[in-house]
Amino acid sequence: MISVVGEPEPVTRPARETLLELRGLSVAYGDVRAVDNIDLTISAGEILGLAGESGCGKTTVANAVMQILRPPAHIAGGSILFRGEDLTALSAEGLRKHRWRNVSMVFQSAMSALNPVMRVGNQFVDMMRAHERIDKRRALARTGELLEIVGIDPRRIRAYPHELSGGMRQRVIIAMALALRPELVIMDEPTTALDVVVQREILQQVSDLQAELGFAVLFITHDLSLLFEFAERIAIMYAGEIVEEAPGGRLHRNARHPYTLGLMRSFPPLTGPIVRMTGIPGSPPDLAAPPAGCRFHPRCPHCAAGDTELFALQTAVRPTLEEIAPGHQVACHLVERDG
Amino acid sequence: MSQLQPTVGDVEIVPLSVAAASGPSRRRLPGWLSLLLANPKSRVGLGLVGFMVIVALISPLISVSHPTDFNLLAARQAPSWHHLFGTTDQGSDIFSQVVLGARRSLILGAASALLATVLATVLGILAAYSGGIIDEVVNFLTNVFLVIPTIPLLIVISSYLKARGMTTMILVLGLTLWSFEARILRGQALSLKNRDFVQAAKVAGESTWRIVFGELMPNMISRIAAAFVLVFYVALLVDAGLEFLGLGDNTHVSWGMTLYWAQTNSAVLQGEWWPFFFPGLALVLTVVGLVFLLAGIDEVSNPRLRNLRRSK
Amino acid sequence: MHAADDVTFVLRPGTITALVGESGSGKSTVARLLARLYQPTAGQVLFDGVDVAGARRRRDLLRYRSQVQMIFQDPFGSLNPVKTIRHHLARPLRIHGRVERGGVEARVQELLETVGLVPAEKYAAKFPHELSGGQRQRVAIARALAVEPAVLVADEPTSMLDVSIRVGILNLMLDLKERERLAFLYVTHDLASARYVADTVLVMYAGQIVEQGAAEQVLQRPLHPYTQLLLASVPDPAVTERAPITARKGLAAAAVDPPPGCRFVERCPLRIPVCSERTPELVEASPGQSARCHVTAPSPARREDLHVEHVQ
Ligand SMILES: Nc1ncnc2c1ncn2[C@@H]1O[C@H](COP(=O)(O)OP(=O)(O)OP(=O)(O)O)[C@@H](O)[C@H]1O
Ligand SMILES: Nc1ncnc2c1ncn2[C@@H]1O[C@H](COP(=O)(O)OP(=O)(O)OP(=O)(O)O)[C@@H](O)[C@H]1O
Ligand code: SF4
Ligand code: SF4
Ligand SMILES: [Mg+2]
Ligand SMILES: [Mg+2]
Repeated sequence: MISVVGEPEPVTRPARETLLELRGLSVAYGDVRAVDNIDLTISAGEILGLAGESGCGKTTVANAVMQILRPPAHIAGGSILFRGEDLTALSAEGLRKHRWRNVSMVFQSAMSALNPVMRVGNQFVDMMRAHERIDKRRALARTGELLEIVGIDPRRIRAYPHELSGGMRQRVIIAMALALRPELVIMDEPTTALDVVVQREILQQVSDLQAELGFAVLFITHDLSLLFEFAERIAIMYAGEIVEEAPGGRLHRNARHPYTLGLMRSFPPLTGPIVRMTGIPGSPPDLAAPPAGCRFHPRCPHCAAGDTELFALQTAVRPTLEEIAPGHQVACHLVERDG
Repeated sequence: MSQLQPTVGDVEIVPLSVAAASGPSRRRLPGWLSLLLANPKSRVGLGLVGFMVIVALISPLISVSHPTDFNLLAARQAPSWHHLFGTTDQGSDIFSQVVLGARRSLILGAASALLATVLATVLGILAAYSGGIIDEVVNFLTNVFLVIPTIPLLIVISSYLKARGMTTMILVLGLTLWSFEARILRGQALSLKNRDFVQAAKVAGESTWRIVFGELMPNMISRIAAAFVLVFYVALLVDAGLEFLGLGDNTHVSWGMTLYWAQTNSAVLQGEWWPFFFPGLALVLTVVGLVFLLAGIDEVSNPRLRNLRRSK
Repeated sequence: MHAADDVTFVLRPGTITALVGESGSGKSTVARLLARLYQPTAGQVLFDGVDVAGARRRRDLLRYRSQVQMIFQDPFGSLNPVKTIRHHLARPLRIHGRVERGGVEARVQELLETVGLVPAEKYAAKFPHELSGGQRQRVAIARALAVEPAVLVADEPTSMLDVSIRVGILNLMLDLKERERLAFLYVTHDLASARYVADTVLVMYAGQIVEQGAAEQVLQRPLHPYTQLLLASVPDPAVTERAPITARKGLAAAAVDPPPGCRFVERCPLRIPVCSERTPELVEASPGQSARCHVTAPSPARREDLHVEHVQ
């Protein structure tokens, strides 16, 4: 089934090289910083999960890596290195090659990203032919195989997007992102529209393909439980910043940032008693005027005026990511103080 | 990325007005205008068309004489300081004819374009949205008008009509030129109509009328503007052509009529180039301006082209 | 083609009914039928005992729409890109005359605050593309609440929202159910959230309801093999080893042109010969819980057959 995507190349990746590196990246919409000074690395062949609240800037990070920010969005600082090459300095032609060949993306809005008046198959063919020389018959054959990989009847190749259910459209888009075998696939909420069975199938297919072909995945979602199962490393984002980063297993057992803990407490249980949940009180900050100090402090259960010294820090000084264990970083004054 | 490019993210149809309003350079100008001015093509187009419009507006002030005044003493004069564009064989001042002709030509073009665009918009979107019998009837009409050859039809109509006034011309041009724009707009509306925001408006209880004109149409403004400009210059050319053939309204001055008279009086045979050159130049400049404006609108409203420009 | 087949269920005031099932199984089709966006090919939609499936007059439709509202699955498609958030909320208020003329703006802000979009006046002036996915979905929820409906059809209202806000929306649903006695049809993939809010659960597979019953009962003791598969697939970090699910080919199209027999037969671990011959009926297997399966919920007649086979 995998051979569809081409002859599997021998996988050799002893010491993983760094594929993508974000250094102090800031992205602003006009004056509003939606992404503020974040550092993130993705090694070749790694699955990195990025989770966080709606509007915290996950998609903005993805768009920056894809280099498809549209005004008023612009890079307000920092750099994006892909294999050491700064993407912010690429020419238009270089960018065209970069997109889809090096990095492809499953868009969050995938369900409306297909051209509504064009048959699904033809959209694949066009996309493939824009990047490599392949005749239409072969492109269509490969499209059929790709669709099969994601569990869609290849006969649906002639369907128009509106004839497919939301979940089917999402799978079409995933197949499209895999078509050119890029080194990094960004998936922005790729399975939110899918039922859990299909979600599991697709994730399994993605990890099989990933193990075989060795591409890296930047997996954006708000479903932490999914990441715990699927991602090797997880970064938690809040209000444009990364507040915690750790290997998946470790984060599951040992999350430290109050926001991460709040997220983990927000899943209703599938067994056991049903209690009314509170989630995380309050709402995400207005990024045009983020709170001073720790951006989470207005919603943080550990922020009380009683503890004067800590309170002063929390409300005035921005915490920075500190390593508390190998590979586990947290940006929180409380954790820094109590270790 | 080809196919994905136009729909990168979710903004594939962020319309001009919105894209501009949220842009960083929010100035006094309306959003769409500053976007058009930022594009080199539409800037040239707006410049040329704007110039012609101003000329037309102030024409009574700058024309030296009544354009049909004749003065046989001053007939067939080459351009000079006294007669900038020369004179006709009747001795009329060509500068005045061109300047005053701009008025008629532009009004005629704009009015036919308006008529055709309104027809195309209403029928095209309504047909796409309602589907069923309405769509079939409109489709049939569109097809009928598409196969009718416009220019021969116009020649036939104009040669039969007694009163070839401006209104008649506008009606004839508007009624024959709406069909292919209607087809394009119908196509675009068809692709929009399946989007959830239309369904959501329906669920909210909006009437068909409001969905068509309040929800769908604002998404198509750039396409509609393009339709207007296109019909505008086609109408200008067809009108000038008809007049040149002598099928125009010969009680008025216009670029086409000046050309017509020059031709009937075999000006070229007498070595006079100016009665052809100046009205022709005015016509060409206006049409070129409109063509540039059209290209600019296309570029600004098509995110694929816009992105290409931007990533340079 | 049948996207949904023989689907029967009841929504009562003050209850939440969850509709879960595989993607492409026809859940949205059912939701859209209720919202009167599709016409059923057969069958009835009864509202307060009156069949509304055939209502065509605008007055009847409007009355229905003032009672039944819908939230769409895809917040990127369900807001009109050229309209401000204010427009989206003000229109339903005006159409259904829910507030006095002067009160619209205040009510718009109140609605935005209800769904947690503060500062409200700032959000009211924004365009959809300036909001993140979750923010848009909250606008869509506010729009549905604007007409103060009795029934809210929510097509995966939270699938685009992150967990912390999802809890807020779920609690909002619970509040509305208790305070306003709203009836919800909550379409979702998220079984845990279905368990959290719903009184009744309907499980759909390939256009049919394959299991239905009290939420707790269905989710703790699922009868139908598909429901069991669904529950086993929920991501759970506690489970480390998992039997791989065999990829299936082309099954997503099963709702189109179903062959006779159980539609789940190709994937079912419990299948017996009769499964591919006869379509199972929805049978009440235990009080308040029914399923469509020859093995786990055999019909009385079928039970006898089984018995006979045994005896022989
Ligand atoms: N075009 C835009 N103009 C102005 N602000 C914007 C624009 N697009 C996004 N934003 C703002 O930037 C912030 C980050 O948005 P982004 O889409 O990256 O969030 P996200 O983390 O992907 O959220 P979600 O999970 O809801 O998709 C949000 O607060 C949003 O309001
Ligand atoms: N306009 C249409 N024309 C033809 N087929 C359609 C149309 N709309 C939906 N379908 C088909 O009907 C079936 C049910 O689709 P529906 O959107 O109701 O599924 P769903 O259960 O909501 O899935 P999801 O969870 O992925 O949203 C699918 O097989 C789909 O392909
Ligand atoms: S720094 Fe203080 S306010 Fe911020 S998350 Fe840590 S404990 Fe809470
Ligand atoms: S009827 Fe047969 S195939 Fe269908 S679910 Fe039951 S056991 Fe499985
Ligand atoms: Mg996003
Ligand atoms: Mg659906």
